[in-house]
Amino acid sequence: MNEMTDETSGAAGSPSFSGRSADTTGSRFTASMAYFERAARVIPGGIYGSKSPGFLVPGHFPYYLSHARGSRIYDVDGNEFIDYLCGYGSQIVGYGNSAVDGPALEQARKGDLLNQPHPAMVELAERLVGLVDGMDWAVFVKNGTDATTLATSIARADTGKQVIIAAEGAYHGAANWCSTNVFPVFLQAEQRDIRFFPYNDVQALEKLFETERGNIACLILTPYHHPTYKPQQLPTPEFTAAVERLCRAEGAYFIVDDIRANFRLDIHGSHKFFGVHPDLIAMGKALANGYPISVLLGTDGLRKTASSFFITGTYWMSAVPMIAALATLDEMERMGGTARLASLGQMLKDGLESLGLEAGFRARVSGPLAIPYLTFDEDPDLYLNQRFCAAMADRGVFMHPHHNWFISLAHTEEDIAQTLEAARSAFAELSSSLATERP
Amino acid sequence: MKTKFVQLSTEEKSVLARLKASLALHMVEEASAADAGLQKICPSGGVSMKFSIRGAGPALGLQMPKISQILPAPPGRPSLLLFFPNTEAAVRVLSGAKGAVIPVPLGANAFRALDFFRKASSRATELLRAPDTSEATRARLLLAATLYGLEAIAGESYLERRMQIVPDGVVGVRAGELAFRVAKRGRTIHVQRDAQPEDTSPGDVLPEDAPPAAAIGSLRPDALLSFAGYRSAIDVLSGKRQAVIALGSGEVHIEGLLPLVQGLFAVLDRLSWYLGVEV
Repeated sequence: MNEMTDETSGAAGSPSFSGRSADTTGSRFTASMAYFERAARVIPGGIYGSKSPGFLVPGHFPYYLSHARGSRIYDVDGNEFIDYLCGYGSQIVGYGNSAVDGPALEQARKGDLLNQPHPAMVELAERLVGLVDGMDWAVFVKNGTDATTLATSIARADTGKQVIIAAEGAYHGAANWCSTNVFPVFLQAEQRDIRFFPYNDVQALEKLFETERGNIACLILTPYHHPTYKPQQLPTPEFTAAVERLCRAEGAYFIVDDIRANFRLDIHGSHKFFGVHPDLIAMGKALANGYPISVLLGTDGLRKTASSFFITGTYWMSAVPMIAALATLDEMERMGGTARLASLGQMLKDGLESLGLEAGFRARVSGPLAIPYLTFDEDPDLYLNQRFCAAMADRGVFMHPHHNWFISLAHTEEDIAQTLEAARSAFAELSSSLATERP
Repeated sequence: MKTKFVQLSTEEKSVLARLKASLALHMVEEASAADAGLQKICPSGGVSMKFSIRGAGPALGLQMPKISQILPAPPGRPSLLLFFPNTEAAVRVLSGAKGAVIPVPLGANAFRALDFFRKASSRATELLRAPDTSEATRARLLLAATLYGLEAIAGESYLERRMQIVPDGVVGVRAGELAFRVAKRGRTIHVQRDAQPEDTSPGDVLPEDAPPAAAIGSLRPDALLSFAGYRSAIDVLSGKRQAVIALGSGEVHIEGLLPLVQGLFAVLDRLSWYLGVEV
């Protein structure tokens, strides 16, 4: 279906984009679709947020997964995929890793959510404070949004200032202050004092600090820029220097939102990898290999303010994720850590870029080696991304067309080799279909 | 929760009045193109009319030559002006209720134009409801109403931040043989039917500040929104089929610059809200 030709895309060197044929007959995703139809009756949007089918390429990706093992995921129709989304980054030592699940499940049998914290909370806080560069205390929450919201709140309370500065396109969570729910009622309240600037743009940042002088509570940044739908950007040395200089001069706190990247770049935190010195760091996702826990880490200067906050949530002190986090930290080291991730990521990057070039595409893998994202320089609108990732999914490789990917320590050289074989075929299919579609 | 007209802000009243006017004019245009009966009764000199609504910004105009003519709509003074003394009157009249409207004849065939407009408006409603209307015609009317509705409300302040974060670009919208282009630039949306050999478009409804059509038509779509066929378009646009289900099943397909299309979906939500206002 949807066989259509775009008659206007005849510019030299630019591809013609015709509709891709989706497998909507349901032969491959019958069970997924049946669940989705049921879901849409009782759940707004069927599947909401970033897992919504519209964010993938409908007809080529499953909507419901049943289980996973190591680097592989399995959908409710029995299809198997090599997974490069890793639970949106939360899997770092592999699905079903017994070194993590063993102690976690043992604690689950003994009791997870207790009236008072389990001693693992102390052990984990000590471990993280010793491990994460420059941090002196830790507060545990559940989601990244909890941690970033707490961070900005503490910065505001401590400084008595309102303005939060963030980079355009950066994701810091789903709370009203930082989400894309831009309803006027939020714009006039929670979003009123949030200011944005283009990432890596020193002049724009300086101008913003000048305009808002005396009002800035904090600057929140991801350790590098990983906006959705766009190539990833690493920070320039000039930019990181400006960030620290401007925050210092303003008396504003520098927050690193390391939720997505944490421990994939440096076991001491992504800020260490980029040589910056934040006052607060939010970490999550890979912290406990998928068990629900995030953490806000801070420096001594903010300990008193943090202590004065009433910080609580029903599940925030549950024991199992803390046990899992301790085990994950051990397992990461045992499995080769960041060096191993970078090595696998390099193999994938080199292979994809080279295969893309062979097929006539300017395919480029951006971002850190362990968190790659492929885009096509000739197609900023991402038609080619969608078609490439759909073709990869057809070949049993789950690569998200719009969100950065993740390498885990459960991936193997064989996985990467198999992925590249699929990519060779996917690029060829893409090239062939474009050649057919060109007038 | 339904909102009543009296609860709207001054700006919302203005936006709703313009929306109703735009939809009325576009439905006449689309119905005339799709219905042979209307083509027969179109005045020989064509129809050139304007809606002027006090409190709702620049006038909206319909310039529609006789269907058989291929020439573009002649510019200049309309033969008929419909003047609404306030936004409430416009919304009431254009919703089929009683309200004040003053027809101001400006040309020789003014009253024939008014008569044609009334008949064409009724026919558009009939075409949407009648069981024997072809799927192509029904899809055309629904699609036009939806897209031109987006165009009419895009500039309101409620949507300002939303429009800021949605990337600029052109969305190609397809359903069967129907093809539209929706160009989002800053805080504005402009809609244009794709020129096609079989296009029998009789004219254009243009806000006075509309850009030249060529400026939209020359751009490659940054995104495509396509319906599997007329039936899919009808089911989704009439609310019979949830858009998310249609999207998930592949009956509705989006590709290219997704945030552009998704941003327009948010404007669509606002359009639904306006269309639900009780007069």
